[in-house]
Amino acid sequence: MKARIGVLLALFVCFGMGMANGQTRIVTGSVTDALTGEPVVGAEVSVAGQAIRAIVQDNGAFSIGVPAGPVTVRIRRIGYRAFEAVVPANQNTLNVTLAADVLQLDEVVVTGTATQIARQNLANAVATVSGEAVTQVSSESVEHALQGKVVGADIQVNSYAPGGGAQVRLRGVTSINATASPLYVIDGVIVSDAAIPSNQNAVTASTGGNNPALTQDGQVNRIADLNPNDIESVEVLKGASASAIYGSKASNGVIIITTKRGRAGRPQVNVSQRFGIFDLANKLGSRTFEDAAELDAQFGAGTAAAVGFTPGVAFDLEQELAGRNDLSTETAFSVTGGANDTRYFLSGLWKNDAGVMENTGFAKHSIRANVDQAFGDRLNASVSTNFTHTDARRGLQNNDNAGVSPYMVFPFTANVVDLKRRADGTFPDNPFERSNPLQTLGLMKNDENVWRFIGSGRLDLAAVQTQQQQLNLIGVAGIDFFQQQNELFFPPELQFEDDDGFPGTSLLTNSDNVNITLNGSAVYTYSPGGGGTRFTTSTGVQYETRDLNIARVTSRGLTAGQPNIDAGTNVTVNEIRQRVEDFGFYVQEEVLMLNDRLLLTAGFRADQSSANADDTKLYFFPKLAGSYRFPDLGGVVNDLKIRVAYGESGNQPLFGQKFTPLDATNNIEGIAGITIPGNVLAANVGSKELKPERQREIEGGVDATLFNDRATLEFTVYQKTITDLLLTRALAPSSGFSQEIFNGGKLRTRGVELGVGLIPVQSPGFSWVFRSNFFLNRSNVTELPVPSFLPASSGFGVGLGTIRIEQGKSATQFVGNIRIDPVSGAPVDSTIGDVNPDFKVAFTNDINWKALRLYFHWDWQQGGTIVNLTRLLYDAGGLTKDFDVPAPGETQGAGLKRLLEGPLVGGDTRIYAEDATFLKLREITLSYALPQSAVRGIWGGIRNARLSVSARNLLTFTDYSGMDPEVSNFGNQPTGRNIDVAPFPRTRSFWFGIDLGF
Amino acid sequence: MLRSTKLSLAAPLVVALALGGCESLTVPDFNNPGIETLTENPTRSVVIAAAHGLLLDARSGISGRAGYVSALGILGRESYNFDASDPRFVTEMLIGPLDGGTPAFGGAQWIPRYTGYRDAQNVLNGLDALSEGEMSTAEKAGIRGFARTMQALDLLLVINTRDDNGAVIAVTDDPTGEPAPIVTKAEVFTKIAQLLDDASSDLQSAGSAFASDIRFPSGFTGFKTPATFRQFNRALRSRVAVYMGATDPAQYTAALNTFLPASFISTTASLSTGVYYNFGTGAGETGNGLFEPSNLVLLAHPSIRADAQLQAGGARDQRYLNKVKTVASVGDQASQGIASDLAYTIYGSTNAPISIIKNEELILLRAEANLGAGNVDAALTDINFIRQNAGGLTAIPLLTWQGWSAAQRLDELLYNKRYSLAYEGGHRWIDMRRYGRLSQLPLDKPNFTVQAKYPFPARECDARTQKPAQGCG
Repeated sequence: MKARIGVLLALFVCFGMGMANGQTRIVTGSVTDALTGEPVVGAEVSVAGQAIRAIVQDNGAFSIGVPAGPVTVRIRRIGYRAFEAVVPANQNTLNVTLAADVLQLDEVVVTGTATQIARQNLANAVATVSGEAVTQVSSESVEHALQGKVVGADIQVNSYAPGGGAQVRLRGVTSINATASPLYVIDGVIVSDAAIPSNQNAVTASTGGNNPALTQDGQVNRIADLNPNDIESVEVLKGASASAIYGSKASNGVIIITTKRGRAGRPQVNVSQRFGIFDLANKLGSRTFEDAAELDAQFGAGTAAAVGFTPGVAFDLEQELAGRNDLSTETAFSVTGGANDTRYFLSGLWKNDAGVMENTGFAKHSIRANVDQAFGDRLNASVSTNFTHTDARRGLQNNDNAGVSPYMVFPFTANVVDLKRRADGTFPDNPFERSNPLQTLGLMKNDENVWRFIGSGRLDLAAVQTQQQQLNLIGVAGIDFFQQQNELFFPPELQFEDDDGFPGTSLLTNSDNVNITLNGSAVYTYSPGGGGTRFTTSTGVQYETRDLNIARVTSRGLTAGQPNIDAGTNVTVNEIRQRVEDFGFYVQEEVLMLNDRLLLTAGFRADQSSANADDTKLYFFPKLAGSYRFPDLGGVVNDLKIRVAYGESGNQPLFGQKFTPLDATNNIEGIAGITIPGNVLAANVGSKELKPERQREIEGGVDATLFNDRATLEFTVYQKTITDLLLTRALAPSSGFSQEIFNGGKLRTRGVELGVGLIPVQSPGFSWVFRSNFFLNRSNVTELPVPSFLPASSGFGVGLGTIRIEQGKSATQFVGNIRIDPVSGAPVDSTIGDVNPDFKVAFTNDINWKALRLYFHWDWQQGGTIVNLTRLLYDAGGLTKDFDVPAPGETQGAGLKRLLEGPLVGGDTRIYAEDATFLKLREITLSYALPQSAVRGIWGGIRNARLSVSARNLLTFTDYSGMDPEVSNFGNQPTGRNIDVAPFPRTRSFWFGIDLGF
Repeated sequence: MLRSTKLSLAAPLVVALALGGCESLTVPDFNNPGIETLTENPTRSVVIAAAHGLLLDARSGISGRAGYVSALGILGRESYNFDASDPRFVTEMLIGPLDGGTPAFGGAQWIPRYTGYRDAQNVLNGLDALSEGEMSTAEKAGIRGFARTMQALDLLLVINTRDDNGAVIAVTDDPTGEPAPIVTKAEVFTKIAQLLDDASSDLQSAGSAFASDIRFPSGFTGFKTPATFRQFNRALRSRVAVYMGATDPAQYTAALNTFLPASFISTTASLSTGVYYNFGTGAGETGNGLFEPSNLVLLAHPSIRADAQLQAGGARDQRYLNKVKTVASVGDQASQGIASDLAYTIYGSTNAPISIIKNEELILLRAEANLGAGNVDAALTDINFIRQNAGGLTAIPLLTWQGWSAAQRLDELLYNKRYSLAYEGGHRWIDMRRYGRLSQLPLDKPNFTVQAKYPFPARECDARTQKPAQGCG
């Protein structure tokens, strides 16, 4: 071991002082696209073993000075197959065509915080999604555009409310009580994906009982602020074997987003204008009442007369609420260009999506400037800045206990009343419930305004650059700052607003988040020459802080309906502050040998964090990986690689878990005191040993390239074992405390992933690219040192179906009551389903025929369970569409039967546990590139022009009876999802677009 | 040459690694004061705030609909709770058995008391850590006497519910370790007496006033100086002595000779003089949940009307008239077919205070101690005083009294305790149990039972490697 460290150090320091050889001849030529014949602008021409670079110009030409004698010239551009050929001593011209690398064969993938490796050698199954793939159809948040495109990533929206809110689960469940979000890194900066509640709970009263936390506010996780058009590539490190180098924050995987950078050359301007509409894509429907007697039978005698029921007249309340199709627009532009030493990329986005309900919608405004400046050959500085503003008008959704959330009101409101706005602008009261949803949405406001700046500066110093040795020093400093303001206003005129004696509610939540990342790395590459052997040694340090400060004001009883929070007669305030400081360093060694056939990687990350009980202790996360390629096998297999990787990563304790807090918020006749919190959940004893959860992942797989590089296959199996889970242990109450958070237990997740890429047709003028991925995973709680428990925000108790953590069971199992014990009379519970689907499959087709292009992307989920409590509510209200419609062979109405046998009378929970299988046409685009002659005829400055029609979530096929099988009342939780309580209804969007290049 | 290059480059790396391991990244809890503010280097203001916290702890778990007064009232057949959303107020409390696994019922009346018990221990430790300059010895003694009295009150309420199951009397240093042992009822009473006596000594050396920054709510009016607070302490000690008297008759004598005279017992002062828990409706306050204007859920047990003695004019016992009213009849929501048309009027608002101990009880305690000590005639004096002044009833002639059996005299004492202390903290249930008379409590239905004591909360049992002999289901 010692000897090896010696070698490592020697590699690190023993570099020579050789300089680049003198340049004695000029090679010129052109690089064009194999399919279209257009210049491949911006491709990089280099000479093997030399620090010589040239960039292909606008006209496709390049010119590079090379040494005398034969040289190996390489030409690369992202998105194209790489070119490499020996140029003999007497050849000074080189005309090359590059084929599009649609199967990502020549991609370079990040393997550390500062190192990269060619995909062909990669020892991990790292998924990469190109910027082009995430901008096929307009999306509000980048997760929407990633759905179904990453093998192993289960990405689901929580509802269709404007503004986002989606969960990304990489390779299954990885925690029970810690964070659920992957780590997002944009241009080297760790950015926040916090989901901050709007405090709509102050009106909906959704908290209480099992769910004291504000998790039912339909919160948006903040990666939604990113402009998808700025993305150059997205790399997804799905488990510890790939993400170990990110240490104690990487258990849920790491998503590395690289934004576009400038390409030298004349300025190129791209402008894209889209017009679209959002459209209500599903309705639950409602029972129709034939006559007054039926209505009176359901709602009590005299109801029909009281509400003015007219037989045969029914109102489509859902359509009236969510039937708007206002114009949505999106304008995006980018400019890229620069001289050789200075390159820039500027972009802007002005997006305005109109919601399907009144007073809902989403706006995003973004400006980006990425500038790269070279100082000579060795020093490069780059700056990335992005300023965004998003304004999500979210409407009102999810569980409530006050009768205000629209889909909590409809289940109890017969469709016999007209709730529309009257001619004078007022709304009728809803005689069946405490609120009129049309009035609520018509008069309320639920605005989430986010102003965000993400910026980073990076210095790259090629300290040593010889044929054999390169030492690069890299420094990155970045900041992610956002301010989120949630302004909610419920005027006194609202029907429900006088229920609490304080008419009118105004809510203001101001949240500030600052993430600062400082990173320093050194990468030393040593190529002894011959045999394709290369040693890459990298090391780095990272310091990071995350500050989140949330201040909430709840103001009730607004004088004269004035929305200012100081106009209230009952005002409460609440503040939550969090700060985490992390320090870490890593060392990694990669050895590529045997003619690029064998890759061995070893490294570790050491992390120290203020979130741990011992904030001086370093926790180590090692990794080890190897791959071996069999190139040019002959026959149908062009290239075969087997790979094995092992790594460890962590999931930090949450802020506050290590503390033993006292409660300072109570008083007796104004005499304030501090006590151990009376709230059972808050009477926490901070463990002196609290440390990160630890994930150990081993993955292995085979990658193959087949049929003359026309097909790729990627097959991976993995097993994650998570130990030291953050668990809650109940303490003897006689100690004065209730609980302690400690590390223990074991969770195992196993899975299989298969990715296929195929080019069935590739000829000039016609090409067809097909991609598909398949994955499944299963989890099991193999050790649980505490009794089975219901994790926070994962349901409403066993009777209504909830996640329960139980030894020997899946971590995402739903339990519910299945029968009544005849002896004790108590309900008997059992597993009734699982959040986790049986498997997921996606298909993508990209067909180009002359100037036409058709792209479509299917996303299929098989299995999984949803607890449809919205249906339970409709049944309870007697208003389900099928409430009085018997199933074939039955006499009792289907809804009535469910009600009488279901959990509301202590019966079978399974009645509301439904299959979550769906098939969705996520994206479809048909586009037409206008002929060059035609566009230049309009104006000579136009390089290209393209018209497109597209749609997102155009078609959904499912047997699920609820609004949509992608649903989560509690937002993003480590284990819990698929609890359907009054979500925002499903929408789809249609777009017409014009893209122009100048 | 090569070697020195290696060293010079390796050195910064080594330094970086070494630094990383040492530099601390301490971030405090921004949202709450941590317990270490009290246990490590406390300041005067923190100790004062923690002492005030004991007042908050004391009223916790008392006034809720499943709290101490309501729950013990149900067990002692003084009251009902016909909550539609929870039939267990009837099924578990009236039919039984009490289940330690239900936190609001059989597992209740435990957590708030031990929260207060540890909070008080933290105050005591904090006082020890304060320097003389921060707080004078007399000031410390005053707060110490206050904290120990509140600890004793917590333990008294615990043992009142657990009875001979026992309870925990020690505060462990590490709350996450093996819990402190459960000791016998006798040991618990010894500990309570010890705490009260220690507190009494503390208060005697506390000077003429508590620390100027110590404040008491209105329920302590008249008991806000060390000397008067000690009267409250001695009053509690009197009750404890009477409770201990059954097995240790010397306690009766001590109560008569030492504790009661040092308390605020008085036949000239108001019977309601005493110390009270306070409640309120402002932000951060706790309301008195026993106030229910609609009289649909919280009701009085019909036996309180049936058993009331009559005044000379034929009216019922004045205490009944003062405390109970007739309302529309309400049936139970647990399909047991019981009902009541009586409701208590004791707590007339959300701010209404609840008695901790009052003069009326002290006079009856003196009667009880005299009965216990064999001073039958002396006992009658106090009983008649209460009969006449609280109940509006005629005095019992001495000859009649002397002619009664001991059981009859005890009946009369317990009758007066029942009506004088109705719905003020389970006195009926506790007193009947102390004299082995639970079987005399009225059963609404043949399948109903009277619960004698609470089990331990399931969490208390689960956390122990060694389960106590009894009390764990």
